[in-house]
Amino acid sequence: MRSSTRVTVAALAAVTLVTTAACGRSDSPGTTAPTQGAAVSEGPATGEVTVWAMGTEGEKLGEFAKAFSEENPDATIKVTAIPWDAAHDKIANAIAGNQVPDVSMIGTTWMGEFAATGALDVTPEAVDDDAFFDGAWDSTEVDDVSYGVPWYVETRVLYVDTDLAEKAGVPATPSTWDELKATAKGLQDAGAQWGINLQPGQTGAWQTFLPFAWEAGAEIYDDGEFHFDTPEFVEALTYYQSFFEEKLAPTQLPQGALEPDFVDGKIGSFVSGPWHIGILQETGGDGFMDGVTLAPMPQGKEKASFIGGSNLAVFKDAKNRDAAWKFVQWLSEPETQAAWYQEVSDLPAVESAWQQGDLADDERLKVFGEQMTTAQAPPAVPTWEQVAAVIDTELEKVCKSGEDPAAAAKAIQQQAESIGTGL
Amino acid sequence: MATVARPAAAGTGPRAGGEVTTSSPAPVRRGSRLRRRRSLVAWGFAAPFVVLFLVFMAWPVVSSLFMAVTDIKSRDLRSPFAVNFVGLQNVVTVLTDTTFHKAALNTLYFVVVGVPLTMGVALAIAVALNTGITRAAAFFRVSYYMPVVTSIVAVAVVWRFLYRPDNGLINEVLGWFGIQGPDWLGSTTWAMPSLIAMAVWRSMGTLVVIFLAGLQSVPKALHEAAALDGANAWQRLTRVTLPSIRPTILFGGVITGIGFLQFFEEPFVMTQGGPLNSTLSVSYLIYNQFGFGNYGVAAAMAYVLFLAIVLLTVVQFRLLGDRDETGTGRRRSIRALLRGSRPAAVGAPAMAPGPADSPSDPAGRRDTEVPA
Repeated sequence: MRSSTRVTVAALAAVTLVTTAACGRSDSPGTTAPTQGAAVSEGPATGEVTVWAMGTEGEKLGEFAKAFSEENPDATIKVTAIPWDAAHDKIANAIAGNQVPDVSMIGTTWMGEFAATGALDVTPEAVDDDAFFDGAWDSTEVDDVSYGVPWYVETRVLYVDTDLAEKAGVPATPSTWDELKATAKGLQDAGAQWGINLQPGQTGAWQTFLPFAWEAGAEIYDDGEFHFDTPEFVEALTYYQSFFEEKLAPTQLPQGALEPDFVDGKIGSFVSGPWHIGILQETGGDGFMDGVTLAPMPQGKEKASFIGGSNLAVFKDAKNRDAAWKFVQWLSEPETQAAWYQEVSDLPAVESAWQQGDLADDERLKVFGEQMTTAQAPPAVPTWEQVAAVIDTELEKVCKSGEDPAAAAKAIQQQAESIGTGL
Repeated sequence: MATVARPAAAGTGPRAGGEVTTSSPAPVRRGSRLRRRRSLVAWGFAAPFVVLFLVFMAWPVVSSLFMAVTDIKSRDLRSPFAVNFVGLQNVVTVLTDTTFHKAALNTLYFVVVGVPLTMGVALAIAVALNTGITRAAAFFRVSYYMPVVTSIVAVAVVWRFLYRPDNGLINEVLGWFGIQGPDWLGSTTWAMPSLIAMAVWRSMGTLVVIFLAGLQSVPKALHEAAALDGANAWQRLTRVTLPSIRPTILFGGVITGIGFLQFFEEPFVMTQGGPLNSTLSVSYLIYNQFGFGNYGVAAAMAYVLFLAIVLLTVVQFRLLGDRDETGTGRRRSIRALLRGSRPAAVGAPAMAPGPADSPSDPAGRRDTEVPA
């Protein structure tokens, strides 16, 4: 018994040693990635293209792609729908097992990580980057090389209770930081329990906060280095914190309380993306949105907001690369983008698609379209999710336990440095 | 291993014996060939198990060990062997990480408060079910076991409602007595106790069943004898019942301790580790690190947790294991369990051991002196 245990331990150790001895990074400079993708062949697409997509996109894309097959009779598009929760791991496993689809939808904040594995194909020159919103295109670039094409976008704006704002006599579309503060105060004085809801930390809070940092003029990432410990960043943290210190924003909102509270007039305003139009209509009933003003994010030194959404990437090991890129390019055509909006209400990443149909006429959508031109993407580095989690944690300390913003900025900087960019 | 060595040893047989009797090497060789064939056949029969074991049990363990000593990250997915060997660097990173310290303290808090509480509550219920409640006993048993088989996701929704600050049931009830309840899940002080309460509720069912089985094996004669000697109910519980089921308590403590150290689901569905990381557990941190693609650090962290579990189990064996007057006896019981030779100790502690139970182990009989 005892000796067989020893043998097992020895065998385990031996196997580990052998496998580790066989490893080691190849640091030769010759392995650097190409900065320009290979050209895509001319003519219509042929063969089968496998596509992975998440959520509603995954459900609807298969039907929608039939139009592509009509234009390219020899090509078939096979869409596999994957749930968002499982998508990150599924793509990671596919890369590890080298069983990748031709095209996959990829969340903007995952680009850095997957591009760094070397599994994504570099975007060919034929793709016109000027057609897209700047912020959206930036999300495809890792270390100045683009690994995909923006598909749809979303950005954050201010939702304000119009009646309350009128009652308080404050602008429902505050245009500066001071005005935003005044609006929040006014809404509270006019009967709302909270003037504004800003996410006070925990997962995803950085998406609400970073726009303020960008507006203050902070450059959080430049040339392979993080810069969180700057006066601009501290200024934004201080401003954000002031909403909590002045009791204008709740430090603890139970899950799912935002929408009913906003409908009841307990919360005067909040910052969120386009999906909240639908949620509010559902919670408040038809016509509720008529009493809500959508305002662009108020301006600091600059204008900014957060840009999110998804990109489309082609894998290097795709079996049908040329047809895959043709399909991606087809999805990026303005007409296709506008038609896709009609199908699933995804906001187009292509600027010119906003000049047609509902997108051009709808007042609310115009606010998003306008905001999009100044929206920024977080740095596309492989470790971004981890750095973002650090921001979430420190932001929570600032908002809830009154940590000094300068100390928080230092803490974020120090942790971000130890995490590194992963490039 | 042994089968590899044996043919080699047999191979030297004919040569050694050849000088003495040159006429009879054939039977030996035939024997060795037969033996080799037999062992091959044996391995053939064992092959399905061996292959399954190597692929699904040994390989993941080896891979995680490999990860723990290399700087592997998600970017190395396509070439997992092209990584650098870093030795114990990952473990150092883990042990110097302040977030890990926080998570370790939280987990310790959860275990130190949660495990005794769960066991105490479960024991009280089991004793009540065993002695007091005779009507509808099956109903209560099922009721207490229900939380174990209910999905944590569904449970979480209900508990979040209970804990709501304004209109949650708990604060409503507190309000009747004029007490303003805290925001349970939103307070750094109360979030952890709230999760502990939920975990106790969720995991006591299994223990109740185990303790009931233990209690039912306590001989009635002992209780009767104690009662005749004038022991009251409390004395009978502490002097007769509890010592009799000590192995059961040990077993319950070990499985609860292992489960609670891997504390993950409650913060995952209820608080996401917040507020201010006050409910972040080690398992949750490992999960996050894997999510961030830091496979090396995450694997090292998992091994640190594994060591903590081993340590806790050893401590529990020391505290609750078979007690002897001699120090050696205690250690023996740990080894015995590792050897797997004493499963009966859990179920039937009060039975006198047969003479053949452990002939090589004179201390064995002492184990059962407890009830007397």
